[in-house]
Order: sequence, then structure tokens, then C-alpha cells
Amino acid sequence: MDTATLVRVLGTVICLVGIVLCWHIGRTRFDGLSSEKLLSVANAHLSQSSFWKLSAFAGIVLVPLAAVGIANYHTFEGVQEVAACARCHVMRPMINDLRNPESNTLAARHYKNHWIVQNQCYDCHSDYGLAGNMEAKMEGFRHLARYTTRTYSEPIELRGRFNNDNCLKCHQDMPKFEVVKSHQSMKALLADSSTSCLNCHGQAHPTRAERTPGSADYAKLMEVVK
Amino acid sequence: MDTNDQKSESGLGRRDLLKVLGGVAVANGLGASTWAALELLVPSATADTWHKSVCRYCGTGCGVLVGMRDGRVTDVRGDDLAHNKGVICVKGSMLRALPYVKGRLTTPKIRRDGRLVDATWDEAMSHVAQTFKDAIAAGGPDSVAFYGSGQLLTEESYTANKLFKAGIRTNNVDGNPRLCMGSAAAGYTQVYGKDEPPGSYEDIDYADCIFTIGANLFECHPPLFERVQQRRRASKGTRLIVVDPRRTRTAEHADIHLAPVPGTDLLLLNAMAQVICEEGLLDTSFIDKHVRFSDGQNTVDLAAFKAFLEKYKPEAVASELGIAAHQIREVAFLFARSRATTSLWTMGINQRTQGVFLNNMLNGLHLITGHIGRPGATPFSVTGQPNACGGVRDTGALGHLLPAGHVVANEGHRRKVEQLWGVEPGTISDKPGLDAVSLFRAMGDGRVKAALVMCTNPAQSLPAADRYRAAMEKCFLVVAEIVEDSETAQFADVLLPAALWIEKEGVTGQGERRYQLIEKLMDPPGQARSDLDILVDLADRLGHGALINARTPEDIWDEWRQFSVSSMYNFKGMTRARLEKERGLQWPCPSEDHPGTIRRYVAGDDPLVTTTGSAMEFYGQPDKKAVVFLRPYVPSPEHTTEEFPFYLTTGRVLEQWHTSTMTGRIEELARASGDAVIEINDQDAWKLQIAEGDSVEVRSRFGTLQGRARLASSPRRGVVFATFHDTKLLINRVVADHVDPVSKEPEFKVTAVSLRKAVA
Repeated sequence: MDTATLVRVLGTVICLVGIVLCWHIGRTRFDGLSSEKLLSVANAHLSQSSFWKLSAFAGIVLVPLAAVGIANYHTFEGVQEVAACARCHVMRPMINDLRNPESNTLAARHYKNHWIVQNQCYDCHSDYGLAGNMEAKMEGFRHLARYTTRTYSEPIELRGRFNNDNCLKCHQDMPKFEVVKSHQSMKALLADSSTSCLNCHGQAHPTRAERTPGSADYAKLMEVVK
Repeated sequence: MDTNDQKSESGLGRRDLLKVLGGVAVANGLGASTWAALELLVPSATADTWHKSVCRYCGTGCGVLVGMRDGRVTDVRGDDLAHNKGVICVKGSMLRALPYVKGRLTTPKIRRDGRLVDATWDEAMSHVAQTFKDAIAAGGPDSVAFYGSGQLLTEESYTANKLFKAGIRTNNVDGNPRLCMGSAAAGYTQVYGKDEPPGSYEDIDYADCIFTIGANLFECHPPLFERVQQRRRASKGTRLIVVDPRRTRTAEHADIHLAPVPGTDLLLLNAMAQVICEEGLLDTSFIDKHVRFSDGQNTVDLAAFKAFLEKYKPEAVASELGIAAHQIREVAFLFARSRATTSLWTMGINQRTQGVFLNNMLNGLHLITGHIGRPGATPFSVTGQPNACGGVRDTGALGHLLPAGHVVANEGHRRKVEQLWGVEPGTISDKPGLDAVSLFRAMGDGRVKAALVMCTNPAQSLPAADRYRAAMEKCFLVVAEIVEDSETAQFADVLLPAALWIEKEGVTGQGERRYQLIEKLMDPPGQARSDLDILVDLADRLGHGALINARTPEDIWDEWRQFSVSSMYNFKGMTRARLEKERGLQWPCPSEDHPGTIRRYVAGDDPLVTTTGSAMEFYGQPDKKAVVFLRPYVPSPEHTTEEFPFYLTTGRVLEQWHTSTMTGRIEELARASGDAVIEINDQDAWKLQIAEGDSVEVRSRFGTLQGRARLASSPRRGVVFATFHDTKLLINRVVADHVDPVSKEPEFKVTAVSLRKAVA
């Protein structure tokens, strides 16, 4: 069992415990509890009032904190998976193409050749460092809002421009990259993304034309992601 | 907990409910405002507005998106909706610097006392008009000429052609495409009856065998090479065969690289045909239906074709060709037996004294194996200039041509064109105009006294350059240029500042019969004008204003579109509005609802195919059959001798385009390409005691030149290579100017030279 699944199971258990606790706490009249009556939980002996106070503390403070923590982990780590992106149907063309062994887009080639082992979407679409992570997540939240409110139209387009750093973080300093004279002479323009790597190195995903509803490729690209 | 609150049965009060609802509202509000904030946080963009356009450089004709901010080009990227699917090259990526290069010409100049001095447009144009009138009065219409280019917009070439042929009444209209595409155009016309390739770039996506000969796609057409590579990555069995005397960067990626001795590759094509016949690899049912054999004069049969090929058995030609017989057999087999073979060729085939024969035979190989008219199967001549196909070949802006596939030599064609242009019968001279090389010779011997040169740089691009530079000195040369100091500008008697790329508007037609619109996005610098404005002005001053009745790109396009209706080029359906909206269209395209033609001569795709029940129809030929020619190999006049023991062949480098008038001024590109060098095979260098960086002298029957040596194993032994972009190493001074007898295209690719270490 991988960490992500473990965290999710744990999160679900904690949430369930939290709900049960809250339900109990909600039904309990705290002023009628006796401080003399002892309850025996496992090997510890607690007064009835202490037990319920502790329960309330757990239900109101500890469990929600744990739930928030786990939810955050789930949100911030889980959304990095390809499966997370695949949940929105507008992303299906990208995912289908990514996993299509016949496809020769940059995404598909990076996937099928295992150049990026996991979280393939996130790996290329989050910029470097904490700020990059933050931006990617903010962008993800924006996508979510757009998607749930249906304020988007197909074919979707990347806003702004793709950050070359995502290419350079692996390719720069590699002999194959460095040997190209144009890479050397354009280093500054590549570094600040004012000239996109994609200009020369092709199509990253199915084109907008292919992703336009009604196009010849549309139905195939929109097949349900397994 | 508030014990005074009234509890309901469930334990929750109204206030609790309000609190919960309030909480939900606050949470929603927070979410919504975060979303709103994120929508406003627009990632930093490089431009405010994006406009679809077309790259200025090569014949691939890539669609680009031009990013503008405050009236300036701030970015250019590949257009993913265009045929190139977003892929461009480093030159295209640096297009944004192009309008702002150093040395832009901003005022007209007139040569006075040997110096070019500033003048007004009126002074310059009256001087031009007067000199043209004087020349015509003294020596007749054929004493003036127009030398254009595949870089002019379609409307410009069309107008120049009309002005000179129907106005001035000379067919002396030629241009750089003669140096570049002449043999391909003649080759297609002889085989199919009509010019222009039958297939499309899209065929690369379906090919199982890609046969590349005389083309260095990696450096000269990078987006096409990327397309080839994408096909190979997606379909691992796809073979790339590269034939080139040099192990070019394209050849480095090939499955099979054959390096023939320069000038001998008709031996290879004929030997491949021989193997195909011998091994039973012919597509006889296709041949029966669609092919006729010809020896150039008479129709012959398949048996005669086979008999003709007997002397080209691989074993018989291997030594002269410089390729092992078993390799020829292997390549012939792969070519014929693949599911779909696409051939790609360019200057290595066209710029040859046997250029037309080579083009004939390449088409022939496809016809005898049936590799044509199916996805992935096509003989494709790749173009060098962005608008050589649409602008020049289609508009007939060459000496022997008239628009839309008509020819000067045919009286019926002349009458038809005269009628379409609304001029008197007999207006168009029956004498074909001078081809490029003859035209510059005529400048030298005084037959042509005044010439207008537009959008090209013949002082650098002509072979045996010294000879024609001297000729240009003698002629009254009007040069419309974008920069002050191009090689040709030095010879100008009047220098006119021209607008460039998105500083003007018009249609370009790239290598696959696709017309695309370039819209005007900015003003030209200073007083610069579009070449069209210059031509219209000249027409008025020469008294032909009434002939040039369409004067805006839009009107001229409409006129030309209507003209095409009566031809096999029919593109009436390509209205200006469609070109504004769509990413280019491929002709034939006869109606506005026609999507354009990807594969020509194919039933169901090409609207001009009329015979029912036939999958293909070569309607350009009277019997509707394509012609396979029996073309004998003739050695190049530039074969090596004891005095000239090496073959010089020229080419390009990835970062520079043509004579580098534009790309050479863009710092990033100039830095990457570096100065031109003389590339020598390291074994030859060892023998000649030449070391890397030495100054070497290259001498041919046409000139002598010195340059820096670079030792490499890429040119085969006995071959010297240089790029022609660099003015500091003007290699065309040395290059031979023999021409193909049919296409009149010079043999840039084969020159016998001697080589030695220069004495310091």
C-alpha cells in the first residue's frame, strides 16, 4: 500500500471517528455529568465528566485538526497525480494522448519512455520551488472553479505561456542540449521563457484543432479515461 | 454552550441554523473571492494581442502567431492551428527581431557621382520611369527587365508580371525561383502536365519510407524534419534514407545514408529503377492504368524502359556513383516495398545540369511503384523560398510562363491570357523572356539596359558571381531593398526602401499548394513602401495605370482568384474572408465550401478529377496518364580533373536563411551560425597539409576565394563544402554557372575546384 492510499484510509477513519464523536457530544448534556462516577476505559480510570470533556476536546479540536492536516495532504499531494487531472473531462484529450503509445506528442513521449516516472502532468506544469508549487495549486483551484461552474469552453487553452524552466530543469547541462549552438546563443531568451522551447520542439499535446468538438479526432480523444 | 437558548427537539436552535448558514456563506464568499483574485492574477504574458501570420523565411511556410504590444512585435510563436502544428524553427522564433534589424533602408536613394544620395520618392521614381522609357525607346521593350523573387507577395509578383508582359510587352520577367525551383517545376510539368506537387506535408505523417535526396531538412526546413522525426518516433519501423555527399545533420539521423559522388545521382535513381524492374517490384496494375513511358520524344513501352535501364545495373554504376551495389539494391527494395514511400528533395536535385531529368526520374520511381496518391506516398519537391510556388510558379512570373500554368510559347495560351487581362490580342510577346542567368548576361552585353530587382539579392545568390556583378555594374539597376547595404544594393543606381513581412499585406503560397494570408500589423520604417506600391507607381509613370486596375492586395487577389477559374489551378473558393479566418487553403479549391485539396489527382479529394470509377486521374496530360521518362545520365560539365581534383558543393546552415540579409543581422542567429568556413574532408586535409583554421584557397574555372578551413569527416572524400550565406566568404564567386538545358537552373551543387593552403 503506497503512502497516498494509506493517508486516504487514515483520513477516512479519522473523519468517521470525528463524526461519531460529534454526534455523541451533541447528544450529551454536560451539566448532568457526575465527577464521582468513574468510567473505566482500557486500563485508565476516568470520571464521567473528564471522559466527556476529553472526548469533546478530541471531537472539536484534535479530530478536525487531523482531518484538516490529512485533507491538506490529500489536496496538495493527491492533486499532483495524473488521475487528479483526469477527473475533469476537458482534460481527457491530454490524458488519452499522454497514455497513447502511438502518439508522438511531447507529453506522450515523456510518458511512454518513462522520462518522467510519476505525476507527469504536475511535473511539467508546476514551476520550480515553493512558489512554483503554490502557483500550480492556485491555477488548479482556478481550473476547479471554472470546471464546476462550467465557465469554460472547448478547446481549452493554457493561459499565459509555458515556463521553459520545466524543460530546462532536466535538459539543461545535458550534452545533447549544450551541443546545439542555437541553445547557447539564445540562453537568455530561453531562461526567461521569452522564447518557448516548444517553438522548435513541437507539439506538447493534441492541438487545439484536434480538441475542438466536432473535429475528426475529438471523439477518440474524449474516450473515457480508464 | 448557550443554555438559555430555546432548544428544539433535535437540539438545534434558529440561531444555530443562522450561524451554520452564515458560515456556509462566508466559506462560499471566500472561495469565490479567491477564484476572482486568481482570475485577475494573469500570468505574465509576452504580448497584448496575438495575430496569425506566416513565417518570412523558407518554403515550409509555417504558420506563426505574432505577439504585439504597443505597436511592436514582442513575440512570435508557432501556430498550433496551422499546418505545422505549432512547430517552427530558431529563425522563426527570432522573427520578432526582424523588423528592427540594423541598417534598415528608410529613404529612396539615387546614385549621383558614384554615391548613393537621399532623394524623394518622386525624384527616384521619375528617374526610374524616365530611364525605363528611354531604354524602351532606344532598344525596344526587351531592353528592360524585372528580376523578382519567391519572397515577394503573390499580388506583387502577379502585378509585376502583368505590368511587364502586358504593359511594357516584354517577357523579361524572371527571378530567384529560377535558381531554386526551375528544375522541379519543369520536372513536374513534364510528368503530370501541370506544375506543383501532387502531395502534401501531411504525407510525412503516414509514410513508412522517407527517401530524402539532395535535401538537408534538419538545417534548411527544420519543421519538416521535426515532422519526419515525429513520424519515426510514433512508428518505429519508418525508414529514413538520406542521399547526400555530405553526412549532414539530416544524414546523421538516417537509417541509411548514401553518399554519392557529387553530380552522379541520376545513376542511383536509374539503378534503383533497374532493381525495381529486375526484382519484380513494379506496380503493374497502376502502370497499366495511369502511366505512359516516353523517351522524351516518343511514347515507348515498359519493355523499352526495362531495356534502357539494363546499363544502369547497380554493379555497373557502383564505382562511378561511389555507392556499393548492395546498398543500391537495399534502398531500391525499401523504396518499392514499403507500404507508403514519400520522397523529399530540394536544391541538391534542382540545382543541377540534369535537374529536370532527376526530377523526372524521382517522380518516375513513384509512378512505377504506385507510391503516389495514397496517404504517405508522394514525390515531394520541397521549396526554398516562402512564396516561390504561389507567388512565382503559379502566377507565371518567369520568362517562359504566363499565369496559372500557361506558357508564352503557346499561342492559344497567350490569347487566353490577353483576354483575361483585357488587352489586345498580340500584346504579349511570343518570345519567351530571358532566364535568370541569361538575363544577367544580357545586362553585361548591353541587351538589357534597365532592370528592376525586387526582394532578392542576386549579387550574392547568382553563381559565378563576379561575372554577374560586373554585368550589374553596366546595367541601370533599380533595387527595392529592406537594408542599405546588401550585396545587390551596392550595384543599385536607384535604391528604394521596401516594406517587409508584416509591414505590408498579401498572400503567400508555400510548398504544398497552400495559400496563406499575411496581414499588415505595423507600419514600415521611415518612407519605406510595399513592393506593390512601388510597382503600381511605376505602372502609372510608364502610362500603364489603366492596365493595373486592381491596386490593393485585396483587389489584386480577387482578380487573380477569378483568373484561376479557367485553369487547373482553380482556387476561386479561397476568398479573402476565408484566408483571414482559416489557416491557409490548398488548391484546387473551386468553391467557398470546398475544404481544399490535400492529394491532387486523387478521386474524391481533387475536385478536378472527373472520370468516374478511377482512383486517380492525371488530368494535366491529354491522355490523363503521367509520364515516366527514360532519362540517360550525362556527367556534369564540372567533373574533376587533375587541375581541379575536388568537388565543391554548397548549402545552408540552420540559423541562416538564403543570403542572410535578414537572419545575419539578428544577433542570436549570427552568433549561433558563426562565420562561414570551408569544410574539408579530414583525409584530404591531411594529404594537403591543411590544419583546422588554416587559410585555404579554393579555385575553380570561375573564380578564386580564400577562407578558413574546418576539418570534418562529414563531406565524403574529395568533397569540399561551404555555406553561401556569408558575405565575407562569398562562395558563389567560385561556383559554376552551367545551367540545365530545359529549366535553365544553374548547377550550384557541383563545381570542380582545386584546394591549397593559402600563402600568408
